[in-house]
Amino acid sequence: MSKNTKIAKKVKVQFLIFLAIYITVGLINARYLPKDPREVIGNVANRWIVGPEGVWYLRINPATVVMSFVVIAILIWFARLVYKEFSLIPTRKQAFAESLMEFVYDIVQSSIPDEKYARPTFVIAMTLFLYIAVSNLISGFIPGISVEVSKVINESGQVVRHVKFVLFNDTFPAPTSDLNTNLTYAVMVFLISQYFGIKAKGIKAWLKGFLEPIPIMLPMNIIGELAKPVSHSLRLFGNITGGGILVLALSYFVKYMFLPPFLWAYFGIFSGLIQAFVFSTLAIAYIASQVS
Amino acid sequence: MDQESVKILAEAIITAGKAIGAGLCMGLGAIGPGVGEGHVGQGAMEAIARQPELTNVITTRMLLADAIAETTGIYSLVITFLILFAL
Repeated sequence: MSKNTKIAKKVKVQFLIFLAIYITVGLINARYLPKDPREVIGNVANRWIVGPEGVWYLRINPATVVMSFVVIAILIWFARLVYKEFSLIPTRKQAFAESLMEFVYDIVQSSIPDEKYARPTFVIAMTLFLYIAVSNLISGFIPGISVEVSKVINESGQVVRHVKFVLFNDTFPAPTSDLNTNLTYAVMVFLISQYFGIKAKGIKAWLKGFLEPIPIMLPMNIIGELAKPVSHSLRLFGNITGGGILVLALSYFVKYMFLPPFLWAYFGIFSGLIQAFVFSTLAIAYIASQVS
Repeated sequence: MDQESVKILAEAIITAGKAIGAGLCMGLGAIGPGVGEGHVGQGAMEAIARQPELTNVITTRMLLADAIAETTGIYSLVITFLILFAL
């Protein structure tokens, strides 16, 4: 009992320090807030893109790339932490990791009974879940850097982009709020599901599946298959980007009295975790629909 | 009317059209998901009332079905962003 109260005290002190930092940052933010709301909202949909104009495959979004590597580093760090103290009697972290994996594996096994396809599907779904969940959470917890890009047309008619880094006014840009990230994963899931379908049923039965229930339904079936990655990726993109824009607008309305991370408690933690779960569950469902 | 005021009028009409279009898109697009999620929630509540021991399973399935019913609403959100920021 005494140990418990001690821990609670420590948590209390940490929470107070956290609050003090946040209130200071909030006051600084409120002091230097742009007076015109258009300055805040106008930059929302602009992206920071680096690369030569016109060459589509060389143009990248540096914020997404950097944040992706941060997410990967966090996942590797946690995996090493668990691996170091790996034992038969699980520690807290190991128990957490194991229960998470078991939870996903149960879903995979209930929808794909065949062990040969259940294991790779589990690996894919678990990787997607971990990556998306961490990337949604990391953009929700910590006040970070946001990049503001504004397009200005100068006197000679050329478009000039101004890049401005703003500290602590918004949260980190999530990799999942970039459609390219989501579309990559959705297309990957689509290709894997088709490959598994061919492997499980044979190419003849797979092609025949498009003619069911009647041959006239062929275009409908093809469109139905192609619509899967589109809806899969746009769902995650819309949720996270919409959440980010709403947080930015709301924190402007309340003049940074509530800092963005507090508002992100809903959009980042609740909605973000649910979307990560939905994304991986739908990946399992798409693969299962092709395999069986 | 001279050239300058025609330009200003055209910009005003564009802004008004954007605002009306975005509002209509989001407002009408939110009806479907609202009805759909209401149905899902109703079904889940009835199922939980009938079989309280299955609450965990039903809640996970309900969240999944909610997210799928939400899709059209998210589409209209994306299109609203396109209208407001990209056009």
